[in-house]
Amino acid sequence: MGYCVYAFVTLGFWEDAGFLLRLIVHPITPEHGFRAREAVMRVFPGASSSYGRSYFRRKLYYNELGKQGGSMLHIECLQTEIEAWSAFAQHKQEQFTEKVEVAHGYLQSPPPPVEIRARLAPLLGRDWTGALPATEAPLDASFSAPARPPDDVTLIAVDGSQIFPDRHAAILYYLIQVGAIVFRYNGQTPIPHSRPALYYQDSDLFDAQGYVVSAEKVNLRRLTQEMAYLCELATDERRAAPTTPLFALTDGPLLWAYPERGQDIERAFQAYLEALGALQQTGVIPVGYVDRPGGRAFLELLWALHLAPEELVERIGENPFQQLRDYRLMERRLPPGARTAWFTRPTTINRRHSEAGQEIWFCYLNVGEAGHPVIARVEAPAWAIPNESAMLTLHTALLHQARVLNGYPYVLARAHEEALVTTLDKKALEDVLQRQLMEKGLVPQMSEKARQKAYLGKR
Amino acid sequence: MATPRQTLTIGNVLRADIRGFVVASRIPEPEVPTFGTFVRAPIQQGRTDLIGLVYNISLQDDPFLKNLAINLDQADEEIIRDQRENRVIPVEISVAAVGYRDEKTYRYGLPPQPPMVLYRITVCDADEVRAITASPNFMRPLLENRDVPAADLIPAAIRRAAELLPEAAREAFYLQAGRYLAHYLGRDPIQLEQILKQFSNPVTFQA
Repeated sequence: MGYCVYAFVTLGFWEDAGFLLRLIVHPITPEHGFRAREAVMRVFPGASSSYGRSYFRRKLYYNELGKQGGSMLHIECLQTEIEAWSAFAQHKQEQFTEKVEVAHGYLQSPPPPVEIRARLAPLLGRDWTGALPATEAPLDASFSAPARPPDDVTLIAVDGSQIFPDRHAAILYYLIQVGAIVFRYNGQTPIPHSRPALYYQDSDLFDAQGYVVSAEKVNLRRLTQEMAYLCELATDERRAAPTTPLFALTDGPLLWAYPERGQDIERAFQAYLEALGALQQTGVIPVGYVDRPGGRAFLELLWALHLAPEELVERIGENPFQQLRDYRLMERRLPPGARTAWFTRPTTINRRHSEAGQEIWFCYLNVGEAGHPVIARVEAPAWAIPNESAMLTLHTALLHQARVLNGYPYVLARAHEEALVTTLDKKALEDVLQRQLMEKGLVPQMSEKARQKAYLGKR
Repeated sequence: MATPRQTLTIGNVLRADIRGFVVASRIPEPEVPTFGTFVRAPIQQGRTDLIGLVYNISLQDDPFLKNLAINLDQADEEIIRDQRENRVIPVEISVAAVGYRDEKTYRYGLPPQPPMVLYRITVCDADEVRAITASPNFMRPLLENRDVPAADLIPAAIRRAAELLPEAAREAFYLQAGRYLAHYLGRDPIQLEQILKQFSNPVTFQA
């Protein structure tokens, strides 16, 4: 009898242990949870029940996530880092708040623009990335605009998206789709546009060294296509409405964003400048809209003004606002609906813009509401700014556009939607391309690496 | 074999079972079929057509639209028009099966198979509606389907079919339908009354 009991207990132990071992290598179901917890307590009597409970609760949770196609990331292993990160974020926020107050203090009683430009002249030509007042408006000035939709004005917004080339995919190609919308403030239905283009020739797909073109080159091509499309639509629109104020909006900076030199970049830059010139000839004002801008040109300006003239060049790199961004200061000081004065950046790129008659100026605009500031940087060519009536119309239109979409211009959101190539679109396109090849007796095959990744991605 | 007809295609089958199916559509507002419209879907590799009645139309939203809906007012005319006319919001159209068509005739009741996903759905033309409704038996699957609002759907279908008949034939058509319902719903006088009441003013119905 005693042996029987011993055998039963021993068998029971190995059964539990075997069950636990299986849990380690196989996903478990919620029904297993209770049995697993009991087994842990029997096999490891010293283990606390709370440990067993929490361990199996987590295991159950992550197994459930896995079944739903969730992540294999063991988030529980990052618990310490996650807690440290949140403490760090809180500390950083407190630091930002203090620095914003300091920067705001620097802005009290600023010198007039003419004096600022004279004082900071030694910094020019030294790759200084700060801003300079572009007009005679005081540094701390803010300008408001009527809170109503503008009358008789047309906005043309453009955006682009792409499928990057993938050398592991079954088919090597890339695609750029430019989307746009013509939005007339006259009660008519806006007109959406989109233009996809497929690139598959060797000259499109490979660089001079024979490598598949980089994402940066595809982005460059997309940027020039967006601008060309904008020009085309603007020309048509100007023909249809010769006297209506017309603004051509892009999602992002108007100032050329590729400071590097290179044959491709140079060619694209020249095309870009020509497009800006063509818009000017057509009487259309190009506008760059940067949501939550990452720059700190204005803070650089404040720091430079804080330095004594004799230490200006020597200490300009010691800016205490390195981690801060202009938009945080603007959130503190710009009332809802207001914009700052216009500024320019005396950078090498902007000088090249200037040589082509297309110097870019910018201002900050708060398109948010009281208690919820939303700061955007608005960029426009210097030649357009003296037209105060046009600038007021632009200001009014941007406020209206952002109001309906909680802080982002409607036309830009719609242009993005028209341009967007979703993963479903990509799959549909690749199905058609593959079918075409198969009809011609060709069997496209993805790399084994891509195939395995596709399998894992479906988990 | 189902023969192609020149009628409006409203969308593709999204999900289906033997009693009905749901169609995803992105057709403009004026072309969205109305409640009680007869539609057909190919089944059995296109050899036959399932006939059904639209019993629910639901407009789907998206986060973009939700965001806008809070902030728009009537002055934002251009944006409202853009949403209505350009950004066609997905529509889900639910259809209840009433029968199917084989080589020669219509058979009432559940079809041998549901339509397959992404099959294209078209609105039945007037001849088809007249042929399907020639027998009141088309109402039986609706009366037996607890998922559909039969008390509203049957009068809508009857009125739609009556509109397609010559004036002189309408009264007989209503009488035939009423007799069928009285026979079928003999033990459910409340539902019978609900349906028959809606027959009382058929002339005002606009398809």
